[in-house]
Amino acid sequence: MGRFIARRILAGISLLFVITSAAYFLLYLSGGDVARNLLGPTASDAQVAAKATELGLDQPLLNRYWDWLSGALTGDFGTSWASRAPVTELLSGRVAVTLTIVVAAVIVSGIGAVVLGSLASSRGGWVDRTIQVASLVGAAVPGFLIAMVLVLVVAINLGWFEPTGYINPSTSITGWLSTAVLPITALAVAGVAGVTQQVRGSMLDERRKDYVRTLECRGLSSRTITYQHVLRNASGPALNVLALMFVAMLGGAVVVEQVFSIPGLGKLTVTSTLSSDVPVIMGIVVVTVVLVVILNLLIDLLQAWLNPKVRLS
Amino acid sequence: MTAPLAPTPRVATRRRASLLRSVLRQPLGAVALAVIALFVIVAIIGPWIVPGDAYTAHLDAILLPPGPDHILGTDPSGRDVLSRLIIATRSSMLGAAIALVVAAAIGISTGLIAGYYRGWFESVFSYGASLFLALPSMVVLLAARSVIGPNLWWAMVIFGVIVSPAFYRLTFATVAGVRHELYVDAARTSGLSDVRIVGRHILSVVRAPVIIQAAGIAGVAIGIQAGLEFLGMGDAKLITWGGMLNDGFQAIYRQPWLLAWPTLALVLISVALTLVANTLRDVLERSSSARRSRSSEQAPAVYTIPAGTALSVRDLEVAYGDDKAKQAVVVRNVSFDVAPGEVLGLVGESGSGKTQTAFAILDVLPGGGRITAGCVALAGKVTTQAERAHERGRSVAYIPQEPMSNLDPSYTIGAQLTKPMRKCAKMTKTEANANALRLLNRVGIANPERVMGLYPHQVSGGMAQRVLIAGAIATEPDVLIADEPTTALDVTVQAEVLDLLRDLQAEFGMAMVIVTHNFGVVADICDRVAVMQDGSIVETGDVESVFDHPQHPYTRELLGAILDDASVRELPSPTTTNGVLS
Amino acid sequence: MKFSYRATAVTAVGVLALAACSSSDNDPGAEPSSSTASTETGAAMAPLLNLGVVDSPGQGGFVAADMSFATKAPYGQAIYDTLVRATPDNLLEPALASDWGYDSGKTELTLKLRDDVKFTDGTDFNADAAAQNILRFRDGSAENANWLANVSDAVAKDPHTLVITLSAPDPALLLNLSRAAGYQQSPASFDTDTPVGSGPYVLDQAASVVDASYIFDANPDYWASDYQHYDEIAMTVFDDPVSMQNALMGDQLDAALFTGYQGFDQIEGAGYTAHEYAQDWEGLLLFDRTGQLSEPMGDVRVRQSINFAIDKEGLLQGLAGGRGEVTTQVFGKETPGYDAELEYAYPYDPEKAKSLLAEAGYADGFTIDFPTVSFVPQATFDLVGQQLAEVGITANFTDIAPQDYFPTMLGGNVALASFRLEQPATAWETYSLELSQGAPWNSFHTPDDAVAGYGEIIQTGSDADSAAAAAELNKYIVDQAWFNPWYRTITTFYTDAETDVTPQVGNVYPYLWNIVPVTN
Repeated sequence: MGRFIARRILAGISLLFVITSAAYFLLYLSGGDVARNLLGPTASDAQVAAKATELGLDQPLLNRYWDWLSGALTGDFGTSWASRAPVTELLSGRVAVTLTIVVAAVIVSGIGAVVLGSLASSRGGWVDRTIQVASLVGAAVPGFLIAMVLVLVVAINLGWFEPTGYINPSTSITGWLSTAVLPITALAVAGVAGVTQQVRGSMLDERRKDYVRTLECRGLSSRTITYQHVLRNASGPALNVLALMFVAMLGGAVVVEQVFSIPGLGKLTVTSTLSSDVPVIMGIVVVTVVLVVILNLLIDLLQAWLNPKVRLS
Repeated sequence: MTAPLAPTPRVATRRRASLLRSVLRQPLGAVALAVIALFVIVAIIGPWIVPGDAYTAHLDAILLPPGPDHILGTDPSGRDVLSRLIIATRSSMLGAAIALVVAAAIGISTGLIAGYYRGWFESVFSYGASLFLALPSMVVLLAARSVIGPNLWWAMVIFGVIVSPAFYRLTFATVAGVRHELYVDAARTSGLSDVRIVGRHILSVVRAPVIIQAAGIAGVAIGIQAGLEFLGMGDAKLITWGGMLNDGFQAIYRQPWLLAWPTLALVLISVALTLVANTLRDVLERSSSARRSRSSEQAPAVYTIPAGTALSVRDLEVAYGDDKAKQAVVVRNVSFDVAPGEVLGLVGESGSGKTQTAFAILDVLPGGGRITAGCVALAGKVTTQAERAHERGRSVAYIPQEPMSNLDPSYTIGAQLTKPMRKCAKMTKTEANANALRLLNRVGIANPERVMGLYPHQVSGGMAQRVLIAGAIATEPDVLIADEPTTALDVTVQAEVLDLLRDLQAEFGMAMVIVTHNFGVVADICDRVAVMQDGSIVETGDVESVFDHPQHPYTRELLGAILDDASVRELPSPTTTNGVLS
Repeated sequence: MKFSYRATAVTAVGVLALAACSSSDNDPGAEPSSSTASTETGAAMAPLLNLGVVDSPGQGGFVAADMSFATKAPYGQAIYDTLVRATPDNLLEPALASDWGYDSGKTELTLKLRDDVKFTDGTDFNADAAAQNILRFRDGSAENANWLANVSDAVAKDPHTLVITLSAPDPALLLNLSRAAGYQQSPASFDTDTPVGSGPYVLDQAASVVDASYIFDANPDYWASDYQHYDEIAMTVFDDPVSMQNALMGDQLDAALFTGYQGFDQIEGAGYTAHEYAQDWEGLLLFDRTGQLSEPMGDVRVRQSINFAIDKEGLLQGLAGGRGEVTTQVFGKETPGYDAELEYAYPYDPEKAKSLLAEAGYADGFTIDFPTVSFVPQATFDLVGQQLAEVGITANFTDIAPQDYFPTMLGGNVALASFRLEQPATAWETYSLELSQGAPWNSFHTPDDAVAGYGEIIQTGSDADSAAAAAELNKYIVDQAWFNPWYRTITTFYTDAETDVTPQVGNVYPYLWNIVPVTN
């Protein structure tokens, strides 16, 4: 097991290296006149040239990449071109915001999907059909529309929650709830819908297996079989989907944070890509990849824990 | 009885041809297919059916509400929304199709190769997959846009590449899972080339999950495309749903209807896609309903059951399918009695209905199957479906054919043995443990304490079968149904297990039904035998008399085959095509 | 995301905008106005102002020498004082400078500075600090560094006398010293991460989230308490007008600059008061006046034809919902040189447009490359392209990535472009931003002796001569059809029932001290 984890971490590190390099070179291609865009149309050419020098834009690509890489290895991701704030400082607060929302949405999705998915697969009939249709619609409606509807109806018309902004749970739990419930909901709708379909499908697959018949013949109730055996064996594929959902939600956070004006990683992604703020974008790439690598490791461990075949080998 | 080779091509074609019809038979599937068909038709003929001008701006008709001139109103440039919606269908659907095809082509092919060959293919492709999964697609698409320009088609190609890991992972997992299944091994040893094995055996396994995934990806692609357009990264010259959403969003307070139409289109097509996939999956895998169908057994009064029988079956008929006209009858007019302490052999080839009969007695017919006529009596009393379900694990027990697949891989043997005792026999944990140890000991397992803590994959097939037997006799049942209890075992173990069964049967005085194709087993353990063919009993009698004087030609044929080639486990027959495995 | 692009555009417009602010009733070169300001409420401080802003401080952060103005003015005005202060009508008043005057050649400006002001780090404000700040802004990376382009030197004559020498007279210099160019940062904080000023508020860095929300606490020792109205100001950044509207309707803001195109009724329905002022003109910039990229555009009749081809009233209704005024000139209503007569120079007349085209030799029309960009509503291009097509001009639309739109327009890569520009409040700024040969928005740098001649009079002449020259220049530009303005757009600033504001002539964002609590 230890070797397995070490191997995964090594793979993760190499992944990080490959992706950050690719991203850096892609960003170089997408360049545009960064200094001019930062300074605006009225800045003089001399000012623009000075800015370009200050940002190191006149250096050859490989030098710039090496500077970035050697800085990053020591934990220094540089300074935002667009706001002059240190990238690590910019990121630290925002990662927490986005992670809190996304993790909450993933948990909601997981629980919701297990309940709905097992209901659908075991009940059949209209319950199954209703849940299926609902989950289909939920997965099909674009996230930004759900977010907009929540803002307009629940926050503004009903006044139950704040329409924009974010309050840290450490500052005030009720404040956090008032700002976080709607974005979490907006993200979780697609999550619940998508994972429900997977749970339902794998449970149906599992239910057809021989051991289920044998357990029935042993006199176990269908409830016991569903929740203790079928669900447990179906949770492997469902976990994989949940992991994918996590990554998808990191992406979905871009739109949701934009609609709710939440200062998270997603919103930072938008602003930094728009201003070609390379140090910040690279910081975001690193954070995202690290998150995904950690997530996959966790999922692998969880899978191993669920599946004795893997655990014991 | 796992068929060592894949179904004959004739069977496969027939199944595929009926797939579309099967989907259409499901109301939801039919509606969804109709929606997709409608969208495809609109995408093709759109430019010829638009009611108005989708392109020309009209200053005097800006943001009109729905009305007679413009059924869905007009957009911020005064253009007919319905016309634009129709025109947008083509580019939106085409974009999604491009992403889908690219993702599927890359994902499935790499998944097949990596799953089948493993080794460094797996390392390289899996690495690549995780690479793409971790890439922030937003940055990739933005960067790509400045390199290739605002081209929707290329953007969708790139998106296809980014999402290809979804197909890869699915295909890989499925293929890796079946790679060592018996039938693949068999195909390999029989000298089929890798390409043919993959094409014939493995592709058919990944087909269903891939179709389901494809529908999902198509939906996501349509959504992402809309998102791109919505964010202003699309091709301004193309009319797309995303672009229309963007127009609507800009005018959400002036003309909220604008947002509704493209949303409706997006949601409709995504839902329809997934719905069709789900229906397909259900049809392909015959699992549309997990619920057991209600049996329509005859009223108990019709039958007179001789007193003193442990199990009686009268005029039993089992059928699949809800529709009376189209249902497939797999067991018809089967009647027999088994006295306490008596062993009945139910003999026949694959598809003769013997296992279906056993499942009907236990009330564990697969989804869609049900008793359509006749009755089952236990201890001289005709039972209802609910009564039989209640007797399972109490007075009626079951020993399956394939020991490994009949144990839950996630639980230890001890847990699987004790759980029914605690739930059904209401034993305490300690009692159940002691009882399980005693039973394991009784079925001839040398080190019961150790075995209790093992997982199914850690024991041999023979030992697993002993565990299953121990589980079956735990409640000292009156009737034991054994479905090919020795077929999947090594020849050396077969005799031991038969000996064990005979001893246990004698010890507990159980009535026993052994489902088998093997006359050796019959000769070894049975008192009486019933020969089944095509769902009916063609001959029944004492073992000796049937062996010595087989009356029915089919019985003679079966006996003859055994004498010809005793090592053949499965009797090949040209009639085995009704698709229902016995 | 689209919205943040729009925000980018707004920023850029703002950039121009700020170049635009100025005094109309007051000669910026004059002695300090004796009128005392309008905002001296003397009322008690209110606890908190939730202010909605449309962008973050930007690449300059809070470094005085690198800060932007326009939409970003509240950030600088919170923590910095300026040398002079402008009233909402751009009359100049004493601030850190108590008195000032030019020499006769208008190339040497002497300012007397207050001696009782300390920065919030405890160091003294003096002429030496002021001189350093002036030179740093001139040489810094602020987008308006050109505001001090004519400054050749700034020296402390004595601890409280600052002398600024100019290479050429600059009619807008004093006005610019009331804006970002006049921000005074403590020299002790020049090379630190936490810039320090002497202004009414202090940035609470710990409570702020970069690019999202900025918290300012009142400076307890502020020397001009009449310009300090709140214990705390929270500025929240909304780069998307729909989000800002949501925040307004959810009652999360007390005051905000609104840059959206819709939702006005709903916001007022939620209890806000709209303060509206014309700030920008929207239309086509006909860059290629010498026909370098597109030969027809070199012919004045073709440019006039475009002006006749566009239905301005229709576009105003269709694109801006009627919120604006149709115009033909780039000079604002408050700007010297504005001529009401000119507003009717080019009525909507497609026939006239066609005959002008025919006269110019393009009876069969011509095709012209027309850049589009996602942050300008697509309907703009649809409608304009349609109207041009009706007189025979085919627009060949090419989509430009948002980050490339400014370089494309300003680099002389397109013959025309659709955009929205601020209307500067002084003729001099209009000239140097849009008309002079070196003006950034004269992207082909078209040389024109007539234009240059008027420009010189505006720069160096007396007020009367300058105004007369501006009027001539305006008429000349309209006749020559250098632009195709459609309408002046309305900028809206919202305040709730507890807040009031006095908008600033010539700046898109009202000055911070003019946003005040309502005292009942």
